[in-house]
Amino acid sequence: MRAAILTRLRPNATQGAMRRTRLLLAAPVLLGSAGCVQVAAPDKPIEINLNINIRQEVVVRLQQDVKELIDKNPGVF
Amino acid sequence: MNRRLKLILAAGLVVAATTAGAGAAFAMLQGDVAAALRSGGQAGEQSDGYLGVVGSGSADVRSQVDAVNIKRRAYYTDLAAKRGAKIEEVAATTACELFRTKVAPGQYYRLPDGVWRQRDSAPIPLPRYCG
Repeated sequence: MRAAILTRLRPNATQGAMRRTRLLLAAPVLLGSAGCVQVAAPDKPIEINLNINIRQEVVVRLQQDVKELIDKNPGVF
Repeated sequence: MNRRLKLILAAGLVVAATTAGAGAAFAMLQGDVAAALRSGGQAGEQSDGYLGVVGSGSADVRSQVDAVNIKRRAYYTDLAAKRGAKIEEVAATTACELFRTKVAPGQYYRLPDGVWRQRDSAPIPLPRYCG
């Protein structure tokens, strides 16, 4: 069994998971007490992957929306 | 006309001129950054729906391209959520449209093969999924 192997190889795996869960639970409280969430632009450029997997019917379905998006936002497109 | 009226008129003129000037400057700033980058040949359209820097590019060009792409990403994310599509799907569809309508002869584009090409007078050979 996968879980059994995991605990045998890493005896503290469950404890680690619990600690992480506790951290996750604490996060909203911490954020809440901070009062505001800071949003900053990433300093790394957006990763480019040119090989997209897309079906033509999806393109057709989105086409009209995309045309409007382009027309409404000169400067960005 | 008394002096006070003249003063008020002058102040009004100054305000009007400043507003017009600021408006023009704003249009230039806001205005076609993407189009300017394309027509200057420093950047081109990619099939993933984002602008790419052609060649090494100056730090200034790179930051302008990044700024445009961050905005694009936000628009793609928004539309994808509205239509229950993937961000990449919205982005790729946009690329098809940009290849059709925004890349002029002499400007650069990049298809899934990753090679930068300069458009000639013929339309860009679109990927098949563009329809």
